[in-house]
Amino acid sequence: MLGYCLDLMRLGRDGIRDNRLLWLLIAGFGLFPIFTHFADLPFWNDVAMRIMLLGMAAMGLNLVLGYGGMVSFGHAAFIGIGAYCVGISQFYGITNGWAHLLFSLVACGIAGLVIGYLALRTSGIYFIMITLAFAQMLFFLFVSLETYGGDDGMSIDRADFGVVDLYDPLRLYFLIWICLALVGLALMFIVRSRFGVTLRAIKSNESRVEAMGLVPLRFKITGYVISAVICGLAGALFASWQEYVSPDIMHWTRSGELMIIIILGGLATLAGPLLGAIVFLLLEEMLPWLLAVVAPAYAENWMILFGPILIMVVMFGRGGLVGLLDRWRAANKAGRLMP
Amino acid sequence: MTSNPVLEITHLDKSFGALTATKNVSFRVLPGEIHSLIGPNGAGKTTLVQQIYGALAPDRGHIHLMGRDITALSIPERVRAGIGRSFQISNVLMDFTILENAIIAEQARRGDSFRFLYPAFSDANLIAGAYQILERVGLADQAGRPAQDLAHGDRRILELALALATAPSVLLLDEPMAGTGPQDSRRMADIIDRLRGQVAILLIEHDMDVVFRLADRISVLVEGAIIATGTADEISGNDAVKAAYLGDEG
Repeated sequence: MLGYCLDLMRLGRDGIRDNRLLWLLIAGFGLFPIFTHFADLPFWNDVAMRIMLLGMAAMGLNLVLGYGGMVSFGHAAFIGIGAYCVGISQFYGITNGWAHLLFSLVACGIAGLVIGYLALRTSGIYFIMITLAFAQMLFFLFVSLETYGGDDGMSIDRADFGVVDLYDPLRLYFLIWICLALVGLALMFIVRSRFGVTLRAIKSNESRVEAMGLVPLRFKITGYVISAVICGLAGALFASWQEYVSPDIMHWTRSGELMIIIILGGLATLAGPLLGAIVFLLLEEMLPWLLAVVAPAYAENWMILFGPILIMVVMFGRGGLVGLLDRWRAANKAGRLMP
Repeated sequence: MTSNPVLEITHLDKSFGALTATKNVSFRVLPGEIHSLIGPNGAGKTTLVQQIYGALAPDRGHIHLMGRDITALSIPERVRAGIGRSFQISNVLMDFTILENAIIAEQARRGDSFRFLYPAFSDANLIAGAYQILERVGLADQAGRPAQDLAHGDRRILELALALATAPSVLLLDEPMAGTGPQDSRRMADIIDRLRGQVAILLIEHDMDVVFRLADRISVLVEGAIIATGTADEISGNDAVKAAYLGDEG
């Protein structure tokens, strides 16, 4: 037992060494509140929480999209299910946060299994469309549920986690941070494992994997469920952070946002989705402000800049920001080795 | 006394609408033999292989592997039952190195790919098994090369290695020399020759020199039906074969 634990710790250490960027970013989020405290910028804690939540969801989607090559255009649905599990349990008087999390994860696991089982029979453009269709179905289902606020959604309280009162400053911040670190740790193990390697092999060449005697569908569904559960976790925390749940949280544009974040950061990399979320949300936050200074008349039209920046990174930075960083580092190294 | 066949095809029929692609085909592949399936273009060789592999369902007839009826099994089930296959068009994992390709094949053979904790590519057992696979085809010394960078001939050999990695009792080789130059073609033929006796092989091949060099027995498929089965000498002396097939090649 002890040997087993030591083994795992060694594997974890190796993994952290191999994925330095991911753990630097996560450590950065852990230390960020010190900065906001001394700089007196408490608003930025809020931005950081939003980044961590979207980054977490994008990391979940990346298992399917990046590593598995399954272009799911409906992952916002799982964020929504996770969030509504919190909202609906509170509606019926269940305030325990642990119960909320349990409901969210189980519900997303089941939803992921059903949607995955049906959608993964198709591939390519059909898969994209059918995942979008499921997400839209769920979106309009929640719009139509007047009991739970319908279109307007419902206000909720932050969940009650017993010893920790999420209304105390920074408690929610560090709950989100711990979940982010756990998701990072889990994904780090998964993508290197036999399962993760098989998933990547299926992306590379499904018919060869079949010719090796494996059933690709099983691995794809399992990956789909894991990614749905991670998005559900992000959704449940999202609800507590917003203190509000509405169908907006699962609007199809959010699915698109998650995909852009992943492609921006780097497909099939562990750090990519988190880095992508940081850059994406910072641009969203800073561009209007920047434009207000430079060209006040156009401040409202910040998306005119936002779009081209994203397109440039995707076009010229193959492998996204992580790919750019890697190449920049490789070039630096080569430069230093030159006589 | 003949030994029990590894692969036995009995009365296989397959048609697509009015087109009959496989007509009452029966033949056996014996243990350790290289059995070559030849026939002019459009004779239905690939359709037949697809039925043995499980990608197409026959309309009638049975396929037995080591005495077990596998006609109703899916592709992965057949592979685990003992059918290995290389494809007409190179089919390897392009995003991985040669060694990683072999490691994935090795873990698939062991049947424990549903593990989430230990890293696959640094697992000493898997690496050892993978090297064994690569040594059989002479690729061990370039194990670290990405499959993407390989020349066509090496890629074909890697594919053969991956087919072997499932420890099949019969290997379906669908034109393993397709698109390779004379040198690679000879290399591939040497490797297949060395496998003789280790695993039964059903070899679909266009190149008659290769077929006559390698095959212990040959079956000739014309318009979906087998018109002759026999040794190289018997086949080259067979009048029906000459008329239908060899004749038009001169």
